[in-house]
Amino acid sequence: MKKATQLALGVLTAVGGFFDVGNIATCTQAGAHFRFQLIWSLILATIVVIFLIEMSGRFAAVTKKALPDAIREHLGFSFWFVPFLILTAVHLLVLAAEIGGICFALHLITGLPIQVWALPVAILVWLFLWRSTFNAIENSTSILGLITLCFVVAAIWHHPPVHEVLAGSLPSMPSHDPANYWFIAVSIVGAVIAPYLFYFYSSGAVEDEWDSTYIPINRVVAVIGMGFGSIISVGAIIVAGIVLAPRGIKVSDYHQAALMLTEIFPFWGYLLFAISMAIACLGAAVEVALSMSYTFAQTFGWNWGEDLEPIKDARFSLVYTIALLLASLFMVAGIDPLKLTIMTMATNAFVLPFVTIPFLLLMNDRKLLRDASNGIISNIATAAIVVLALVLAVVSIPLTFMGGS
Amino acid sequence: MREQIDIIRDILDKQLVDRDHTAMGRVDGIVLSIDDGAPRIDHFELGFVVLACRLHPRVEQWLRAIRTRWSVRKSARQIVPWSAVQDITQREIRLDVHAIETSAFDWEKWLRKNIVSKIPGSGEE
Repeated sequence: MKKATQLALGVLTAVGGFFDVGNIATCTQAGAHFRFQLIWSLILATIVVIFLIEMSGRFAAVTKKALPDAIREHLGFSFWFVPFLILTAVHLLVLAAEIGGICFALHLITGLPIQVWALPVAILVWLFLWRSTFNAIENSTSILGLITLCFVVAAIWHHPPVHEVLAGSLPSMPSHDPANYWFIAVSIVGAVIAPYLFYFYSSGAVEDEWDSTYIPINRVVAVIGMGFGSIISVGAIIVAGIVLAPRGIKVSDYHQAALMLTEIFPFWGYLLFAISMAIACLGAAVEVALSMSYTFAQTFGWNWGEDLEPIKDARFSLVYTIALLLASLFMVAGIDPLKLTIMTMATNAFVLPFVTIPFLLLMNDRKLLRDASNGIISNIATAAIVVLALVLAVVSIPLTFMGGS
Repeated sequence: MREQIDIIRDILDKQLVDRDHTAMGRVDGIVLSIDDGAPRIDHFELGFVVLACRLHPRVEQWLRAIRTRWSVRKSARQIVPWSAVQDITQREIRLDVHAIETSAFDWEKWLRKNIVSKIPGSGEE
């Protein structure tokens, strides 16, 4: 029974982590600009994320260590220091973007300006973390997250042309605006392979006390959980491609993205979009904030655990408290949440080598993983992923200037 | 055969825990002493200053300057004598101490007392 509930961890990571503000932004832009032509980049990123999630779960199950812990111990502080600082900065940007997503959703529902919502939203996310246990967070957000299935329902309802969707599943050259095409492709990859997923997932596995008997479950969770998140994102691309593209709506603002469900649900569309966005971003914000605490606590060897009361792990709890406060300032300052999100997703793509190279090293350490270390398939995949990450890191910055709108 | 341990691979940066398995920092530095020409591990060092000096002497200087002004910890380098080591496992190094009584918990205790306990719902009775 306990193992059956572990599937919830996967679904949570999928809905809360996979389908978040980054996916909403990049997928609607992809659909609005290029209809179904960019579905391939989502599929590619999903395959990568399945491999990496499977590895981080397997690593935690066998060694009982989460990733930041293992990287500091086995690769050393000097190796980890710079990536640690860079990832902290990136996590803060992602957290700000998730908070921005919730603020925008509340703005859509209430009509009050986004800025007004920044601090209340940060406090809400903080309360969630301050008062709840890991399992309570896991279960509540994964059940609420099911509402994002409305994108899949809407996609099916619109009867998308199957041959066109299938054609979009394979890479092709853009018919127009190549710089923007490649920029969105990179942003989608950055949105899907968000670094915090791996730190959150492996720390969660340690909190749930996984051991090597969880290896098969972990594999199923990685494939089904991430696959589930991916289907929702494909749904969002299809709906945007059918509803927004023919009308020439380019999604330079979240208000335009919010139109995408109104054709099928004329009355409820706006509200449904807002609620889906709020919940997806809330789940992700909780995960990102927790990932920051996990990363700090493990890097410095503090006592940690979301199941402990804050008084028992003061440093752990204060990391997410300060992170939420800082992240909310982006919205207080009036930065546009969509622009922040798109920029952050490109940054995610830029930092991927820092995330993937430690994987390649740790997953092949037979002294640590013994017979659970990477086989030939996983290693070819990881090597390919590292190469892809390096390419993305090189192209993401020029593309941001050329194609970022 | 005598037991051999690779000190860089298996001790440096490893998690330290106390008798009750409470995490209490990592092995930030290792200091050897030399008796009659034979080196042996004298103690571990813990603390941000120890980490900083592994990065660069300049970083260490900065951190020392910040520390003298703001730190709640008495000494820059916390010392754990080798004699306190109870067990070294694949996962961690267990020390025969109570974490809460060591200076590894100076910051934790200060933050608990001055910040966290003042926020409602922290679990403080």
